[in-house]
Amino acid sequence: MSDVAALRVEDLQEIVEQVWSSYLDPEGIEPLLPVYDDIDGMKTDMHASVSITGTWHGHVVVACNEPAAKNCSAAFLAMEVDEVGEADMMDVLGELANIVGGNVKSMLPPGCFVSLPTVVTGEAPHYPSAEPVCQLAGTWMGDPFVITMWQSRGDGGEAA
Amino acid sequence: MQAILIDDSRAMRLILRRIVGQIGFDAVEAEDGQAAIDLLNSMEKAPELALIDWNMPNMNGLEFVTAVRKEPKYREMTLVMVTTESEQSQIVRALAAGAHEYVIKPFTAGAMIEKLALLGLVPQGASS
Repeated sequence: MSDVAALRVEDLQEIVEQVWSSYLDPEGIEPLLPVYDDIDGMKTDMHASVSITGTWHGHVVVACNEPAAKNCSAAFLAMEVDEVGEADMMDVLGELANIVGGNVKSMLPPGCFVSLPTVVTGEAPHYPSAEPVCQLAGTWMGDPFVITMWQSRGDGGEAA
Repeated sequence: MQAILIDDSRAMRLILRRIVGQIGFDAVEAEDGQAAIDLLNSMEKAPELALIDWNMPNMNGLEFVTAVRKEPKYREMTLVMVTTESEQSQIVRALAAGAHEYVIKPFTAGAMIEKLALLGLVPQGASS
């Protein structure tokens, strides 16, 4: 972790808990259950991200699989899971990344900006000039959710 | 009573629609600041309330607030920023531009209604 943005997993956890209690689990019945082992083995094929620029450079990525995205969308949109379409999943995951990324930004030094969200399916986005600096993984209703904060490498490997 | 919900996320607009519906508001929606300006210009009467995201394409929430504050016909419209922008300097900017209140995402329905009650926009008994 860089000393520029000493974000801890606990900080990510707190943000995610607020999102879950506000929109996905208001009754407190289905929280995100943290996973500590074999995170690389968690299969995700939907990735929503925002980029952060300014005094800190990097990305916040929210990744899950399609069933998780459908459950998320159904909760957000007050729909049945089988009514959820691709556009719904894209919209909801984008908003999730926006909320998580925006709250991450609030823990960074002043003078940062958050981009509009991007959502991709299939392969995870690659950030050749960045490295993961903080990650929270868990399962929700049996499906994987992984939130990763990537920090861009500047000259000499320091924060850009 | 009417509210205009301005957010590029359809999911967020739906959440806001459900909340303001609970306290008796009809809602119209716009996906960015420019679309909201266009919609307001087509309406006979300005809504009592605008809930405004900050981070949107075409025209962001701060630009929208600045634009509507220049128009006397929208003077009565209560402007509430609903955004992840929680940096103090950004909140100050929004309030200085003319926003009345500020709600940070994520928010619960209760927190939003409480904020609207502070603004005098919740009829007695509407939230129960």
